[in-house]
Amino acid sequence: MRALETSAPRFELALGEPEYPTQLAEAPDPPKVLYGIGDPALLVPGLAVIGARKATPYGLQAGALFAGWAARSGYTIISGGAIGCDQSAHRAAIDAARPTVAVLGCGADLVYPSGAQRLLQDVASLGAVVSEQPWGTPPQRWTFRTRNRIIAGLSAALLVLEAGLPSGTFSTADYALAAGREVFVVPGSIFAPECRGANRLLSQGATPVCDVSELAAALKLVLPLGRSCAEMWQLPDHCASDDPVLTALRTHHWRPDDLARELELDVVALAQRIGALETAGLVARFSDGRYGATAPR
Amino acid sequence: MAQCTVRTATVFGIEAVAVDAEVDVGAGLPTFAIVGLADIAVQEARERVRSAVRAAGFNVPNARIVVNLAPGPLRKHGTGFDLALAVGLLTATGQLNPSIARDCAVVGELSLDGSVRAVRGMLAHALAARAQRRPLLGPAESAESLALHGLDYRPLTHLAQLRSGVPAAVVGALPTVLPSDSEADFADVAGHDLAKRALLIAAAGAHNILMVGPPGSGKTMLARRLPSILPPLDDTERVETALVHSVAGIDDVPALAGIRPFRAPHHSASIAGLVGGGSPPRPGEASLAHNGVLFLDEMPEFGPAALQSLRQPLEDGHITLVRAEGRLLFPARFALVGAANPCPCGFRGDAQRRCSCATGVVERYQARIGGPLMDRIDLVVDVARVDPGLLLSRGQSIASAQLRDQVLAAREIAAARDVADNRVLTGVALLSACALQDRATRFLEDAARAQHLSGRGVTRLLRVARTCADLAGESAVTVEHLSEALGYRAKDGA
Repeated sequence: MRALETSAPRFELALGEPEYPTQLAEAPDPPKVLYGIGDPALLVPGLAVIGARKATPYGLQAGALFAGWAARSGYTIISGGAIGCDQSAHRAAIDAARPTVAVLGCGADLVYPSGAQRLLQDVASLGAVVSEQPWGTPPQRWTFRTRNRIIAGLSAALLVLEAGLPSGTFSTADYALAAGREVFVVPGSIFAPECRGANRLLSQGATPVCDVSELAAALKLVLPLGRSCAEMWQLPDHCASDDPVLTALRTHHWRPDDLARELELDVVALAQRIGALETAGLVARFSDGRYGATAPR
Repeated sequence: MAQCTVRTATVFGIEAVAVDAEVDVGAGLPTFAIVGLADIAVQEARERVRSAVRAAGFNVPNARIVVNLAPGPLRKHGTGFDLALAVGLLTATGQLNPSIARDCAVVGELSLDGSVRAVRGMLAHALAARAQRRPLLGPAESAESLALHGLDYRPLTHLAQLRSGVPAAVVGALPTVLPSDSEADFADVAGHDLAKRALLIAAAGAHNILMVGPPGSGKTMLARRLPSILPPLDDTERVETALVHSVAGIDDVPALAGIRPFRAPHHSASIAGLVGGGSPPRPGEASLAHNGVLFLDEMPEFGPAALQSLRQPLEDGHITLVRAEGRLLFPARFALVGAANPCPCGFRGDAQRRCSCATGVVERYQARIGGPLMDRIDLVVDVARVDPGLLLSRGQSIASAQLRDQVLAAREIAAARDVADNRVLTGVALLSACALQDRATRFLEDAARAQHLSGRGVTRLLRVARTCADLAGESAVTVEHLSEALGYRAKDGA
């Protein structure tokens, strides 16, 4: 396990110290000591953005869209540093050069997952990497569940990008509800197993977030920041399409073979169409070979 | 006459190196000694020669026989010296017409009853004899596969035949077996339309291809049908390929008949097994696949060192082995076909089964093939498990014969550009071959930006698009070809 190589300063905040984040202290079962690297003053109430590790382009795009907007609007983005949705949220905040906080399940001075060295360096320099585990503690299965409590506790609201079933996201949502935080969920296709968990959260009463203005309105009630990023993304009207390939990919994730058979198209013609749509940024390929629609601009 | 020199040869790499067998029959205690760095198989020739000579009705002199194999420093292997030693011995003792030893190069193994057997590397011996413009006296059973233009081959079944002089030359013809005789046909494969299309492109442009999919999805079944759509070998390629097979001791008739080799080594293969080695150095699977297909099933399961050893042949088309005895060059210009599971459990992305691998494990598994090797793979295609309903429907699957016609037509167009395979196109040659118009150039720039393609990624994309255009019979690469090729790029956009 490699150490986080950064020049950002370390800090240790004990429960009861004035610098200890108030919202976390007031949440159930706050950690006795919070170890961190970066700027402890940035541990203000923010928007927690989480989701599945095995993310689809849908979840990653939603992360870039909502976390990017929230970061530019002044909300600190809090997440768990994990592969997939979590990293897309951190990355969106870093790209906007805004503070973001990563809560790790191992010691805050260690890099986990192993490919996240660069990302966590950026997080430490723009915000903070924190953990309740003492320095140098290797990750354990159970530490990830308990760190979800800190993600919920540090935030003012929680946004779930994408979650399958079963999903660790549920524990974070439970902690968020226990701490009295609002839970927002990006709805997904009812046909996609990758979205089943997110949709279940919605049917249990979470607030759906379908575009940026909805998120803005909902966040304003929980955490008024005085200012808000003017840009508002909504599904553009010009995206209504009579291209059967694009329409099919918007409703479902397809393998080219299956889609060609469904649409009764020649597989070469379909491959050409998908290539054109991909280059136009309208569809993307999943790591398992399926294709799905992405956020249209 | 107490001395005689016979011209023979020993195989080193894929070459037959000329060796002079000097036989001296003189006074002294009756012995039979062979000197000149001869290995055990050569030493044992004494017993075979003695028995065969007697069985053929000649006399073994009760004298001191010394054989020197020159040049001295060269190691001599194998059983191919038997016939030369017998000819030398019989000529030195005046039992044979000296013109045989004077004119011919002699290669062959002797049986105890005097019949002449084939040895490995006969084709290498034939090429060497042709280069020296000498008749080659050798086993009759090899005559069929030695129908080389310009070779004077004298087939011998039994040592006794030499009593009536050198046998008459044979005029053979290259065997003709059409590759369509292979039994595996794409018509038997239901579904997998995109994978078949990718294999068609791979066959047409001799591209390296990787198929990724869960176990049982049909990757191996698809790969085994690739030879059925490959064009036959041309005359030069036949000899090149058969030569490697000949020195490796495997049947060289299919290659001489024009069938492209398809080699599928198991993933436990060692470096020497893959690229050649051992003592004496033998060609590995990569060389046996020369001008054909090297199929690596379960590619990430191969040893990393063995896998990376394929980088040189993929780049240069040959393998250089450096040994104490010298430097050896084995040809190895093959199209690589790989098959891999998407993750250790195999079910990532499967519609029915749930993948049980952690995300990090999946990434590490996929990284086992390694960037430099992936850089040389032009097409990557996902192969999903086919719906059982489709398997049973027995619809109109395209047959290998149709696909092969498309491959041949595409290769004809490619041949007009004067480049062997689209796989090896690079740089300026690639750009001029593609003849991109403004619209296509703009599309390529957009695609490269959107998919974060590296320079190598763009090169691979263009190569594949060029083959797509060849298959469509078009001289310029257009947006359609580029957009199709995009679907076959490697995952991480590199």
